Amino acid sequence: MSRKLEISKSFRIDVTALFTRCMPTSIFIIVFLLFGLTSPRFLQPESLLNIAKQASYIGIAALGMTLVLITGGVDLSLGSTVYLSTIVAGLLMRDYGLSPVAASFVCLLAGAGIGGFNAFFITRLKILPFVVTLATMIAGRGLGLLLTKSRALEFPAAILKVGAFKLFGFLPLPILLFALSATAIQLFLSRIPLGRHYYAVGFNAENARRAGLPVDRIIASAYVLCGICASLGGLVAVTQLGIVNAGFGKGDEFDAIAAAVLGGAALSGGVGSAFPGTVIGALMIRMIWSGLVSAKINLYFQPMIFAVILFLAVMLDTRRNMIIARQRRKIISLRKDKQT
Amino acid sequence: MNDFSATTSLMHGIQQLLRRNFVLTLTVGYFIVMSALLPAFASSRNLANLSSNFWPLLSLVIGQLLVMIVGGIDLSQSSIMALASVCGASLMCQSADPVVFAKAPLWNIVFSEQGGFLAGSVFAVSAAVAVMLTVGILVGFFNGFAVAYLKMPPFIVTLVSMMFFSGAAIYLTASENITHLPTSFTAIAQKRVLLPIPVWIVAASAIVVHIILQHTAFGKKLYAVGLNAKAALISGINVPMVTLTAFTLSGFFAALGSVIYSARLEGGRPTLGQDLLLDVIGAAVIGGISLFGGRGRVRDACAGALFFTLLANSLNLMNLSFFIVNIVKGGVILLAAAVDAWRVGKSGGMSKR
Amino acid sequence: MTPLISIRNIDKSFFGAPALRSVSFDIIPNRILGLIGENGAGKSTLMNILCGELQPDSGELYFRGRPFRLEGPAAAAEAGIALIHQELNLFNNLSIADNLFLSRYPRRGPWIDKGAMHDKALQLLHQVGLDLPPNWLLERLRPGERQLVEICKALHADAELVIFDEPTTSLTAAEKERLFQVIDGLKQRGKTIIYISHDLDEVMRLCDDIVVLRDGRMVDFGAASEFTLQRMIASMCGCELEYLFPIRQGTPQAQVLLEVRHLSAEGLVEDVSFEIRKGEILGLFGLMGSGRTELARLLFGLEPFDSGRIVFNGRILEQPSPRRCIELGMAFVTENRREEGLLIDGTVQDNLVLATLNRFVDFARFLDAEKMASESEAQVRQLNLRCTSLKQIVKSLSGGNQQKVVLGKWLLARPLLFILDEPTRGIDVGAKYEVYSLINHLADEGAGILMISSELEELTALCDRLLVIHRGEIIKSFTKDQFDAEKILEAAFHL
Repeated sequence: MSRKLEISKSFRIDVTALFTRCMPTSIFIIVFLLFGLTSPRFLQPESLLNIAKQASYIGIAALGMTLVLITGGVDLSLGSTVYLSTIVAGLLMRDYGLSPVAASFVCLLAGAGIGGFNAFFITRLKILPFVVTLATMIAGRGLGLLLTKSRALEFPAAILKVGAFKLFGFLPLPILLFALSATAIQLFLSRIPLGRHYYAVGFNAENARRAGLPVDRIIASAYVLCGICASLGGLVAVTQLGIVNAGFGKGDEFDAIAAAVLGGAALSGGVGSAFPGTVIGALMIRMIWSGLVSAKINLYFQPMIFAVILFLAVMLDTRRNMIIARQRRKIISLRKDKQT
Repeated sequence: MNDFSATTSLMHGIQQLLRRNFVLTLTVGYFIVMSALLPAFASSRNLANLSSNFWPLLSLVIGQLLVMIVGGIDLSQSSIMALASVCGASLMCQSADPVVFAKAPLWNIVFSEQGGFLAGSVFAVSAAVAVMLTVGILVGFFNGFAVAYLKMPPFIVTLVSMMFFSGAAIYLTASENITHLPTSFTAIAQKRVLLPIPVWIVAASAIVVHIILQHTAFGKKLYAVGLNAKAALISGINVPMVTLTAFTLSGFFAALGSVIYSARLEGGRPTLGQDLLLDVIGAAVIGGISLFGGRGRVRDACAGALFFTLLANSLNLMNLSFFIVNIVKGGVILLAAAVDAWRVGKSGGMSKR
Repeated sequence: MTPLISIRNIDKSFFGAPALRSVSFDIIPNRILGLIGENGAGKSTLMNILCGELQPDSGELYFRGRPFRLEGPAAAAEAGIALIHQELNLFNNLSIADNLFLSRYPRRGPWIDKGAMHDKALQLLHQVGLDLPPNWLLERLRPGERQLVEICKALHADAELVIFDEPTTSLTAAEKERLFQVIDGLKQRGKTIIYISHDLDEVMRLCDDIVVLRDGRMVDFGAASEFTLQRMIASMCGCELEYLFPIRQGTPQAQVLLEVRHLSAEGLVEDVSFEIRKGEILGLFGLMGSGRTELARLLFGLEPFDSGRIVFNGRILEQPSPRRCIELGMAFVTENRREEGLLIDGTVQDNLVLATLNRFVDFARFLDAEKMASESEAQVRQLNLRCTSLKQIVKSLSGGNQQKVVLGKWLLARPLLFILDEPTRGIDVGAKYEVYSLINHLADEGAGILMISSELEELTALCDRLLVIHRGEIIKSFTKDQFDAEKILEAAFHL
């Protein structure tokens, strides 16, 4: 009988755990249906594919942000990384005739470099990630504007051709890259020791150090990977736009944070996933923007609605976590006694 | 032998000075070096310029200090400035161009071709300033409520309110600047009563906040909440109320900064203060205010804001481009933070309060 | 027999204050070595040296007769030394299996071999009698179960030497038994164990050898069979402490101070009724998670209750808050002083005046700095609180002195009722005695005291009356003449 009791209780906990995991998805479905009901055009396959395509850029960058958030940090320099790494590639192509493939490679390398710069200050000099990446955000954009003399930078037309590529004739390149990166990052997080170490460090870095983990190297790798993701996201955007202007990427770190947080990541670290988490978050953000556009909302009014939705999502999430914590405390206190 | 001990005690004295007033020493040193290098630096015109940049920034940093002491952060200060600026200006402006503002939601409700709702009234300026400050208090109250009572993370709350209220400022005016403000308003930044008016306003606020922090129970409670909110709660401190007050005050000081900036720029700008976040956080970090909470004084805020103003001003005088200025600013913040981390590590984590 | 590890003339000081002075002894393989000493005697420093966290200033370590150095926790793990910290080194957001294998996952190429990990985890868990699915998140486990997971980690690392630092502070009696069995099992498998504890009975029962540290020196060493409780205590404090507990002389007054009637809060406590008189020390005994801490939190307004009535000093408390409770004259010493009791980075004075800030305010709402300093100073003297100045940071005080800071904070408020949740947890024998005396003294002066403890001995020595709580219900009440350890335990276990 006591066995049965145990099972029913563990089942109850599992239901809450399941709900925890499904929270981002359920919000996603609600938002989706809401927009679907208001404008049926929204639900057509092309428009959905379009949303996924547009979500790719911020989505790939947000995957990197997710890694950093899991370790308990934040990367405010993400937008500047996007800008700086793509213009480095663009300038090399324009002025030095570098091939697009080599330039793409340099772009990723530049992203890794900026991530490494952040990592150095965070892990070696022990400065808060918020401060380091805020400084990098400002300085990085300054450097980028200096390099371009704050003019827009056009990319060779070949880039747009690459951007128009479709796998099997229907899957656009951005979605393909987004899907590939999301799969890679999710596998990394769940199946590679380093990925698991991110969660440990994010939960408690001091504990992780005592467990013999190389905490500094683990944290550093997250920022480097975030830099790479940001520059890859930038590349994807460039293949669609063909041009990088002075405001490119500006403020996108906040969209990336929003995507990760909507996907269930916490700024306090230790929680988050690439798939479904951040992928859903990025799609949701894009969907909201497209929904607002197709609902013909005043252009200036859109950011305000977006902010309200983000606020409500985070508020719900906070409420839910508090309720779960409360519930869990009670269940544990009952379970504890049963044993004895 | 004697000589040696004199040297060591001198060294010790310098060490003490550096540890306690590191940033202030640095600022004075920087001022002296720059005055020698740049002749224009210590000129009276530039000093006036420095002062007009320093005081409104200090107002913002003091607000940020209060939030940081309770372990929070306020990213929404710039949006509060913009919203307050727009609200105040639209109420008191003396005329507005119908072609420019025809699409603004406030048009023909709050202001029109003949100027703002309050235009011409004797109380126009004082009422508009009161509205500006109220806007700041309300936004700050909203942030504080979400953080303290809904238990949401301050970073996200103020990020969202940054998005919302800067969006609102742009929306309300259709992204246009409101000009033609009454001269009695612009006088706030331009007239002097012995010293420029902003000096009186902000210096008085700084002294009041200093007294609150160091000599009142509320100040001690702020620090206690930042050091350990749970222990503060169990010791009978109304933690949510203290947090709410800190955020509300931050909003107030952002609005106060907005009054001074708007008066100086002679207009209500929906994009006011957009690039100020770096300056405010930078000044706080340079001043040695802890982002973890529980550490930071008004004099840290002053020192940080002063250094940051000097830095920006000297870079401008060197005729460097805006981009290089930003690169240097970023670098200096990193350097200051690194030095602070090193210094705190050195003194064995001694409390700086 | 060659010792597993020989410690020779180890010295270590922090900022000029010596923590270890020329400590030398041997750790014999396949035996359990008990390490005891008051807080600040150097136990933790020594253990931190053995697990590579700290480097000695001078002296040598020998591993099986050969000199060796330990640089970093990883090196210690390599050498086969595992330390099980008092505060467990686990990650609540990861699964049991992740926790076990975090620093050495079974791999297939670059990938984690999930199948192998699962099987190995089941096997390890079974060894300590913890049959739970390895994919459960750690946060679902009870404290005792988490302790066992930590032991599994040591097993997995195949550690030669396992160091337990205060492993039983948060365990129920049954979990303690299980832990002792596991430790015995480790010994039978040829492992060596160092066992650090404040619970001298446990040390007597479990250990083969005993080392006593005092003020950084090793002052006593021998086989456990040669030791008595008196000898341990004498060596630890360097004096003859005749009694562990002061004698309680006072008796409760007639006036009822706190009356609780049919108090219920869903999932926490059910239909709890009791009262405390002025000058009475009421003990509350129960196992971990029996609802004893929850009851204390309810009384102090930290959790809402659903039904029932609390009458304190003649007033009915409707949904109280901590602030209201303090105003009316309650004080609450929490079980975890680091997390809920102290501003650990604040100064001694900041902490002492925290609960009474409003009392130090003058007519103009300013704080009276002199009054704060003088009253704090008086508290420091009265409590025999050892600190260099009122400006010392609390973090750098020993556990016993930190607890005195918490007590001092409440004494300044001059409350009528003290709720003390594990007031002597993790503090040394000398400081314990002082805390007991203080509690006695407060009761004699007419304060009511609700004392929660998992140490039955201290409750029976101090209390006038004792309640036993089980699954959120008060199931039995004992008066002083009915105190009988066996009967009380029976009630707590609900046998």
